[in-house]
Amino acid sequence: MAELWNTIILEPVLNSLIAMCNVLGGNFGLAIIVLTVIVRLILFPLTVRQTQSTKAMQSLQPRIQELQKKYAKNQQKLQQEMMKLYKEAGINPLGCLWPMLIQLPIWIALYQSIMQALAATPESLLSLSQHLYSWGAVGQAVPLNDHFLWLRLSQNGDMILAVLVGGTMWIQQKMVTPPAADPRQQSMTSMTTLMMPLMFGFFVLSFPSGLALYWVVSNIIGIIIQYFVSGGWGYLRAPSVPKQAPSQKTSLAQKPIPAEQQSKVLKQASEQSKTIKQASSEDKKKRGLFGR
Amino acid sequence: MVNDVTGLFAIKIRKILSLITSVIMLGLIAIGCGGAAYQGWSGFAGDDEILYFGSMDSRVFAINPSARSQELPFPSEGEWVLTIPTAGAPGAICGPACVPASPRAGIYATPVVIGDLVCVAIYAGDSGKLMAINRLDPGYTEGVPLRSRGEWVYPSGGQSIGAIVGSPAVVEEILYVGTSEGKVYALDVVYGESNKWKQPFDTEGKIWTSPAIEDNVVYISNYAHKFFALSSIDGSRKWGIELPAAAASSPAVVGNDVFFGTFDNQLYAVDGTNGDVKWIFSGENWFWATPVVKDGVVYAGCLDHNIYAIDVSTGNELWRFTADDQIVSTPVLVDNLLVLASDSGTVYVLEANSGKPEHDPVPVDASVKVPVRAPLYAEGNMVYVHASNRCVYCLDVQSGEKVWGFCYSEIK
Repeated sequence: MAELWNTIILEPVLNSLIAMCNVLGGNFGLAIIVLTVIVRLILFPLTVRQTQSTKAMQSLQPRIQELQKKYAKNQQKLQQEMMKLYKEAGINPLGCLWPMLIQLPIWIALYQSIMQALAATPESLLSLSQHLYSWGAVGQAVPLNDHFLWLRLSQNGDMILAVLVGGTMWIQQKMVTPPAADPRQQSMTSMTTLMMPLMFGFFVLSFPSGLALYWVVSNIIGIIIQYFVSGGWGYLRAPSVPKQAPSQKTSLAQKPIPAEQQSKVLKQASEQSKTIKQASSEDKKKRGLFGR
Repeated sequence: MVNDVTGLFAIKIRKILSLITSVIMLGLIAIGCGGAAYQGWSGFAGDDEILYFGSMDSRVFAINPSARSQELPFPSEGEWVLTIPTAGAPGAICGPACVPASPRAGIYATPVVIGDLVCVAIYAGDSGKLMAINRLDPGYTEGVPLRSRGEWVYPSGGQSIGAIVGSPAVVEEILYVGTSEGKVYALDVVYGESNKWKQPFDTEGKIWTSPAIEDNVVYISNYAHKFFALSSIDGSRKWGIELPAAAASSPAVVGNDVFFGTFDNQLYAVDGTNGDVKWIFSGENWFWATPVVKDGVVYAGCLDHNIYAIDVSTGNELWRFTADDQIVSTPVLVDNLLVLASDSGTVYVLEANSGKPEHDPVPVDASVKVPVRAPLYAEGNMVYVHASNRCVYCLDVQSGEKVWGFCYSEIK
């Protein structure tokens, strides 16, 4: 299994990365950036589908929350109603999962390639020999020069990169995380949005800078895609907790949504769902991608 | 039914997405830990029937083969062990879950013996140092040398000259070594000071290979595709050539000929007087092991599983022998026999003039069954192997059988 993974996925990415480094004058930092951009461009349609699918699902959240309250004691009915809702809006609940699963092996291969190519120790360098093609461009580039800007790409512990990784990850998460109406849920969401970037920032300190560079570039591209697909900064600029009148005792989630608003939400989700379908159609791709 | 299943999935989709994210993160951390952290693969230096080597757990050992063959308790006569304390372990690719519990050094370089001293080069991420230990009566305590016994450490204190992978070479009490910072040092063995040359020679590229010295010329390569010939007297550059790929192996010098392998699968023969390339021989992977030269034949171990015998003057292949795995460790000649070890741990004894195995099939006992990367060392009819399972093995070349084994991981 490992052999198959190496032959089909890891080695093509690894050798492309090293050959690209040779083409770019031996600048491995630049090679990481260029390959990350190329891979993200190849996966662009999938990313867009995933983003739009998630957005469509999010637009239904007020309705789902309402259903959850209404049928809290009848799970079967809740499922039926939710399926009805998804059907009316034309949304496949699995829609945002498949693009993510397809992208996963490629990301892992890119990650592994950077780790392998850096060959920080003599053992790593020796192990690299087992994965290289006999291309001249590859042999001439190895071992790679790990200097890039102020960084030593094979060494860990760069604080600036840790902050950049954490910061870009926070922005990306903040753009897609809708504020919750329930204060407890909101507190949980805020905690998750903050904890993930903090954890990754911490991990970056223990990983080679080359990998952190890949994360930063990948996050920035993610932010750009998110910006254009969602038509702006999304929930980044939205208030963290929806405003609530002081006299109101019930939360927005508890308040029944008027029929007029319900149809508006459904219409919105339905439109987004159509946009996803349009995105898969080649001739209508542009209109679908930016879905404004 | 299908609708119910999908509906249930839809309700839990957020949880599943969170789970997938967590799995990705854990996977990334696990892969990070899977990166090869350094251990070292030091060869042996021998004198007065004692073998000196750097272990894979930051220690320097002196072992007495006679005592080991009798399975006497360690340490016996002439034997000792010294732990090298170092600060941190930067340079190792390692996730947060596998940060080394205690500071450690790595030793890739083969020690050298000069008089009463044994000199050891340390890798230790970026904290490389050179240290001289009194081999007859080590005085080092907590990493501090005992000057009264002639011991020293270079550079002293918290300074470092960068990680050292290549072995140092000694000629007339001057120790030559290249470091990861790209500099070549010429140190006085007695005082451990860089007082031979005005300043270290800067090759402007990482050095992970050993220097070779012949007729007052130091031959050394770096990972920036350069190969230099320096004056061993004052460190001045005699000539330098730029190669299409960096040198993977340390050079071997015989007379005016210099031999080394490169990362583009070539073995070079270069004129030592001016750097002109005499011939190039192609393999199918890197020539990582240092070539061995004798009687007009270059024996070059390659990561393509082959060892090649090549005519020194023409560069023509005389014979090749295919091992069961990559040949990483430098082979050794014992009279007319060539002894080599594969990365699977099989030790082969070949006739040097024909490449035919002396023992066919290879005796079962000749296999140490773990990767062998350290250079082999021969004394008399015995060949010593430092294997990656932290054991040292002694093999009889004539019989091809293992004589004894000593596993130092059990030594406290």
